Amino acid sequence: MTALSPSLGLRSDNETWMIRIDKEADIVAVRQRVRELAKDQRFDQFAVAAITTAASELSRNVWVHAEAGMARISLLRNGRKVGLELEFEDQGPGIANLNRALAGGFSTAKSLGLGLSGTKRLVDEFEIDTEVGRGTRIVVRKWKKDF
Amino acid sequence: MTSGPIPILKIGSTLLATIQIELHDTIVDSFQNDALEEIERTGANGLIIDISALETVDSYVARMLANTAKMAKLMGAGTVIVGMRPAVAATLVRMGYFMDGIQTALSLEEGLELQASRLKSNTE
Amino acid sequence: MNYGKQPDYMAILKIDDDERKGRLAFFELTEEDFQRLRALKPFADRWTHEITEGLYELLMGQPESRVFFPDDATLSHVKKMQNSYFLGLFSANFDLGYVRDRLRVGATHERIGMPPKLYLGAYHRYLHLIHMKLVEHFNGNETEATKALSSIRKIIFFDMALAIDTYIAAYLETMTRHQAAIRELSTPVIKVHDRILLLPIVGTVDTQRAHQIMETVLLQVVEQQAKVMILDIAGVPVVDTKVADHILKTTAAVQLLGSQTILTGISASVARTVVQLGVEITRMHTRAKLSEGIELALSIVGKRITSKTSHGGEEVRP
Repeated sequence: MTALSPSLGLRSDNETWMIRIDKEADIVAVRQRVRELAKDQRFDQFAVAAITTAASELSRNVWVHAEAGMARISLLRNGRKVGLELEFEDQGPGIANLNRALAGGFSTAKSLGLGLSGTKRLVDEFEIDTEVGRGTRIVVRKWKKDF
Repeated sequence: MTSGPIPILKIGSTLLATIQIELHDTIVDSFQNDALEEIERTGANGLIIDISALETVDSYVARMLANTAKMAKLMGAGTVIVGMRPAVAATLVRMGYFMDGIQTALSLEEGLELQASRLKSNTE
Repeated sequence: MNYGKQPDYMAILKIDDDERKGRLAFFELTEEDFQRLRALKPFADRWTHEITEGLYELLMGQPESRVFFPDDATLSHVKKMQNSYFLGLFSANFDLGYVRDRLRVGATHERIGMPPKLYLGAYHRYLHLIHMKLVEHFNGNETEATKALSSIRKIIFFDMALAIDTYIAAYLETMTRHQAAIRELSTPVIKVHDRILLLPIVGTVDTQRAHQIMETVLLQVVEQQAKVMILDIAGVPVVDTKVADHILKTTAAVQLLGSQTILTGISASVARTVVQLGVEITRMHTRAKLSEGIELALSIVGKRITSKTSHGGEEVRP
């Protein structure tokens, strides 16, 4: 696996939540936690919807393709900037043709069942590390608009 | 009137389903079941799904709504999705889900009007 | 004094008990300091008036600060508040109530427009006066005076940090409001007729603006229950694939809500570019002129514009 670039921002220990994903109801749990956090941090309604939907998509991927995995949700602070970081990790089958999975056209919805290209457009930062037979790790971040 | 987690009412010859809870597998399954059985039982020719309470609609829910509409169509009922929130619409198109082929309306009232005019044009 | 409704700075600054404890720790306030401060209560009672007088001597002696104390009533009120502030330092009860109180003090100073330089300058004088009185209090014993001053200085810096935070929070709130106003002005959605909205887009459309346009459009469509949204792009200088894509997305989103979009103000060159680029804009209504778009919108809602014919006279040619 290639090394992921280090994320910007400081993550304090008591602002990270871990949720195991091994049943369908866990997708709802992840979604609710993310939504609550985003609202708490006063993200605007469109940003809340975006990050919550991304969380839902990515945790569903974990459950559908790997059946078990972990979601790590963190609050980020970089100076005055506030952000949310979501990390999804599984030991599933991995993604064979990553470039194709990530390719997004402008206005068509040609998802290959993974919805990654669509999800990518909902967040500010998107990092993926995957290997067939080993698993997948995806980290996404969304920063709160200053004004 | 159904007893599942998602209430389905009858308004004239249209069914109205209001989704106000978090959706996942089992709920979706029983909802689709209930809706189709109600269409059969009441002979309804329209189904309105009110999603004004849904804050999040991901690709799974979007697909579910589209599938439910297709199933209802097979049984002779046209579906209209009403009350989509601005943030939900924005998120769907940003992901690339334009949900072509799904009828939508701003409100329940508009949805009913849409059903009525569709029926009218069908019988002309 | 008029104490209008202040924003809840404790909520805005997210100061909870953990944050409070963290700050006390960062300013190195320990149990020893708390005890020392409590033991200095008699000192405080004895000297508060003189110290306050010394502070206001400075403030009244400078024209810039004098303006904040225009009359005797204000001055005496403020001196009374200053005395109770001073005594509060020695109660050594630095709970959330104390924090809230300090935030209120900072907020008041910010609201009356006292600049940070004056605020901090006053604090500096304050510490100097306190130091002098401490030396007197401990009969020239510099060591004791220094220990006492150290504890007092810690809590005063703790207070200053809170005050500065309220200044910053107040400026941020102002800037947020201004930004919101600017956004509103740059995305003026106009109600043309019942259930028909119009948004003239003027100027370049970058990604950030495009997002903001979509969001404003969608919010307005729902709020006004608009059946038709007219987007006029005559004022957009360049329409390339990116801009066209943004327009397409906005139109698709409006459609998802159950409404329709009419795109107007399409110049010859834009029409050429769009087709040459292969952008699919067949899903929406388009017109060259805004007036045509309005007519189409009206027909969609079941209305139309007709010419008036005058009574008893010539017919007005349509």
